[in-house]
Parts: sequence; structure tokens; C-alpha cells
Amino acid sequence: MKILIIEDEQELTQVMRTSLEKGNYLVEHAADYHTALDKIVSYDYDCILLDIMLPGGSGLELLSELKKLRKEEAVIIISAKDAVDDKVLGLELGADDYLAKPFHLAELNARVKSAIRRKNQNGEQYIGWRNITIDPENRAVRVNHTELVLNRKEFDLLYYFITNPERLITKTSIAEYVWGDHTDQADSLDFVYSQIKNLRKKLNKAKAEVDIQAVYGVGYKIV
Amino acid sequence: MQKRSLKNYTLRYLVIAILGIIALWAALFYMYIIEEVYDNIDDGLKDTRLRIMHEAESDLEILLTREYDIARFRVTPLPPGDYSRKSHIYNSKMYMPYDDDDEPVRVLQSIFSSKGQEYQLEIYTSTVEEDELLEDLLTALVVLYIALVVSIILINHFILRKAWTPFYRFMEQLRHYKIGGRNRLDPMPATIREFDELYTELSAMIERNETVYLQQKQFIENASHELQTPLAIASNKLELLMNRPDLTEESLVQIDEISRTLQRLKRLNRSLLMLSKIENRQFQPSGDILLNDLIKQALNDLEMLITSKNTEVAFREQGDFIAEINPDLASSLIGNLLKNAIVHNIKGGILDISVSEREVVISNSGETPLNKEQIFERFYKNEQNERSTGLGLAIVKSIIRLYPFLTLEYDYEGMHRFTLRKL
Repeated sequence: MKILIIEDEQELTQVMRTSLEKGNYLVEHAADYHTALDKIVSYDYDCILLDIMLPGGSGLELLSELKKLRKEEAVIIISAKDAVDDKVLGLELGADDYLAKPFHLAELNARVKSAIRRKNQNGEQYIGWRNITIDPENRAVRVNHTELVLNRKEFDLLYYFITNPERLITKTSIAEYVWGDHTDQADSLDFVYSQIKNLRKKLNKAKAEVDIQAVYGVGYKIV
Repeated sequence: MQKRSLKNYTLRYLVIAILGIIALWAALFYMYIIEEVYDNIDDGLKDTRLRIMHEAESDLEILLTREYDIARFRVTPLPPGDYSRKSHIYNSKMYMPYDDDDEPVRVLQSIFSSKGQEYQLEIYTSTVEEDELLEDLLTALVVLYIALVVSIILINHFILRKAWTPFYRFMEQLRHYKIGGRNRLDPMPATIREFDELYTELSAMIERNETVYLQQKQFIENASHELQTPLAIASNKLELLMNRPDLTEESLVQIDEISRTLQRLKRLNRSLLMLSKIENRQFQPSGDILLNDLIKQALNDLEMLITSKNTEVAFREQGDFIAEINPDLASSLIGNLLKNAIVHNIKGGILDISVSEREVVISNSGETPLNKEQIFERFYKNEQNERSTGLGLAIVKSIIRLYPFLTLEYDYEGMHRFTLRKL
């Protein structure tokens, strides 16, 4: 799987690259509009992470170029400009997703994975790890081909873990992903623990070959 | 000290000055007139004297005129002696039967000799009654003075009022002027140079202030913007770091703490960005929004907070609250108000929301009333709550300020109560 990061911030590119490479992606990088255009024209990628403000041009223009070339890449706009208009415009121009800076790397992984899967019409429709397969379209989970019934939050939780296998995900990141932005005001993140406990129970019962481990009270990791 | 209008200010001095000028003028005028009158009369008297003396040479009868009669002179023989030939004119009073009173007369006294006999000739003529003249003059002057003052007041009133109209209109505009608002001063159609200068200078000043204000607002937005990327880098690096297998528990926990602090910074920055975007009016207007739906949506989003706080929620709909607000701002408005009511609630407290056509009332439990003046200030925090950015209600207020038909009030009656009203 090949990913192109179009971003002019070297350091941010570096952390994104490191994180994505851990997920076994091949990562390439373009720091300005023209390099990016060259790469887009010359190669095929599975996913493009696109910053809107670039030296030499706008990411939105690149997006239009991409559509003109009838390229099938999944495009995720990554922007510091948390402007709603940009988001709407980007999605209208054919971007698959929009992620506002700053974001959690785990969230980036989840978004990249689902964006690629959605675009990959011919190939794999499911996201799987060990003996678990997830069908995000229908929000269905199977363990060894047996359906596992999860509620909405449990599903989101499992999806977040499966798209970030064997990685530590902090409680804050989990809470934000599953419960939304307001979690930062909560007195405690105990609700994350109780939700994970339920999910763990269900997974064990279904004989899933995974375990969600607590890591020093900081977060959790699926192994 | 009581302040006077400029109009009345000049008027006061003008009235006093005119009084002085008129008095002085009257005195000079009077003296001049009197002198002129006497001069005339005296000329007449002297002429009469010459005529009499001339006549006396041929008509000796004249020398026998001992008493004043029709001719208005008398001749009195004098004992021989050396008399001055100089005429002497003076004012006197004489009984006049027609008036039955003494009237002022001008008398010429002169000595002449005829045939060796010295005579004293006295000729009189009726003269002005000085006191009456004075009185008449005074009356005329008083009338003139009043007429002057009245016309000055009237002219002042109408002309100056007309001249000052642009000024008052200008003042009215200044009264309603708000920095950062979209109001520029209307050009002032002034024919008065001073007003024109005032307008020019003030316009320039406003222009300068607006520019500075805009730059500052822009600065906050740019600063928040520029902070996003380094914040992303830092927190993402920490996230990578936390995944290293060789970390001890202690370091991991510490990194997590740093990471949480960074999250707070991210939130703060995002709120600041939101605030400056609202104040820079970067949200487009849009169609009608049903706030009832937004409240349901927000309650759904806040479910986790509600559960963690054990808040008892009551939501009563008595009507549809519809307003023309940008949808993002509307959700931010409702979201912030509700979040505020949950976060600053007591554990197991009540959140009561009631919606009618014109009002959204959000009440929550709380022990003590909040400071009405300060709660909408940026970074105001009633309690030390490190999770609160202190910007939520400031954002709410900025949104309200954007829509003149909305008002928001806070009061306390056993519960904190925020009332959103549509005018």
C-alpha cells in the first residue's frame, strides 16, 4: 500500500511517515505544489494525505487536478484551517475525508484505513486483524465467520483498535474518537474503562484471538 | 458646573456686549445731538440779536420793550458803566401758560449801547426738554436693544441650528459607533469648514483605529493558526514516543501527562481560533435553523458528560424555536450553553431545558449565583477547573452579538438560568 503525504511541514511529515510506516505502508512525500503534481501524474497511490496550504499552490487545486486525471486515490485533506467552508469545498471536490490539525496519529491510521478500503472497490471490502473481520459499511463484526453483535460505541471502539493494531492508544484519544470532542470536560475517563470491559467480555466470549490490554493506566493496546 | 451649549454661550456675551455698546453709543449720540441742537438755537438767537440791534437804530420803540411778549425779548436800560460786549447764552426756565408749567428756554443775554445808553438785551427761545429727550431716547434705545437681542436670538436659533445640524447628526453617528462594527461614518454635507475638518480628522482616526483593531484580530487568528502545526507535531511525536517498547511505566505516565497538557493547549487554541473567526465575521449567514433539533443533537453528543456527571436532564418542548443563524454557530451556541450547564453542574444535579417559540431556557443546579458582569468575559473562571478553557461563554456571547435579534440573559433563582430570547 502506497501513501503520498503532501505537506510542507517537515517535522509533521516525519511523524506521520513514521507512524504510517509502522502500519506497513510505503510512504512518499511531496513538500510543494509542483512536486506533488509531478508525483500524482507519474505514480499511483492508494491514499493521498493532502495539506491545503502549500508553497506554490492550493491543495484544493491539486484535488481538482486529481479528478481531471480520473485518479482513483483516496484523498484525506489534512489542514490547519479548520474552516467549515474548506471542509465542504474539499469534500465536494471529491476528497474522501477531512482531518483538522492537530489530530491523533491513531485517528489518522483509522481514517487512512477506512478511506483506502472505501476506494478499493475491487479488492478487500473488509478490514481484518487476526480472526476478526469488520465490515464498516454495514457496521458488522465477525469473529471466525460468526457474527458478533456490538452496540454503536463498542463497534467504534473495536474499529479504532483494529485499525491501530498493537499500538498504544491513550484514553484521551479513545474518548475523543468514540465519544466526541466534549470528553475533555469530563471529570474522569472511567467510562472508557467500563466500555472496554464490556467489549473485552464480548470478544472473549466469541473466542477472538485478541486481547485489549491496559497499559499502565495511560491507555490500551490490542494484541 | 453646568455646561452650556455653544450657541447660548456666545449669546450671553453678545447680549452683554450689545448692552454696553448701545449705552456708550447712546451717551455719545445724546451729547452730539444736544450740541447740534444748541448750536442751531444759538445761531438763531444770535441772528435775532443782530436783527433787533439793527432794527433798534431806526425804531426806538423796540428799546422800550421791557417785558417778554410776542417778540420774545426784552430790553433793560443799564446804569452807565463799562460792560462787556460779549453775548452770553444760558439755559433757563420760563413759565409758559399753554403748558401751565415752567418750560426750558435758551436765553441770550447781550449788552449794547444806543445813543449813549447801555442796554441789556435778553432774547429767549423755547428749547428741547432735555429730560424728555433723554427719556425718549432711552425708550427708543430700550426698544432697539430688545429688538436686537430678540433678532439675534432668533437668528442664532434658526441659522445656527441649521448650521449645526450636520454636527448633531455626526454626534448621533459617533454615539452609535462601535469599533469593529461595519458602520463607517456617513459623509457630512457640511458647508462649515470646521465641521468638515472635524469629519475628515475623525474619519481618519476611525480608519486608523479600525486598521489596528483588524490587525490585532487578524493577529490572534494567525497566531492560533500557526500554533496548530507545532501543536500537532509535538503531540504526534509524543504519541509515537509512547509506542516505544523500552519505556518504563514512570516515563510513560509522564509522557501521557505532557500529552494531556498539550491537548488542553490544543483545545484552548481551537477556542481562540473559533472566537476570532466569529469576531472576524467569517461565518456566512444562512437559512432558518430549528434549535429544538440542535438541542437534541447536542444532548446526544454530550451523553457521555451527562452520564459521568450523573446529571438529570429534563427537556420540554412547548414550541419550535426557529432562527436564521449560521448552522455551525448555532450548534456552537447551543453546545457551549449545554456543556456549560453540565460541566458546571453539581454531581447528580439537574439540567432543565425548556423551548418555546421565542425562548430557550437552560437551567442547571448550582449553589451560588455567578457574577453577571464577568461570566461572559474571556478566561473568566468561577472555580479552578483546569479542564475548562474559560472561553465557552465568551464564544456564546460573540455569537449573540453577531445576531441583533437574539438576546441572552443570565440570572439565578435557586438555579443558574440562561435565557435565549428571539426579539
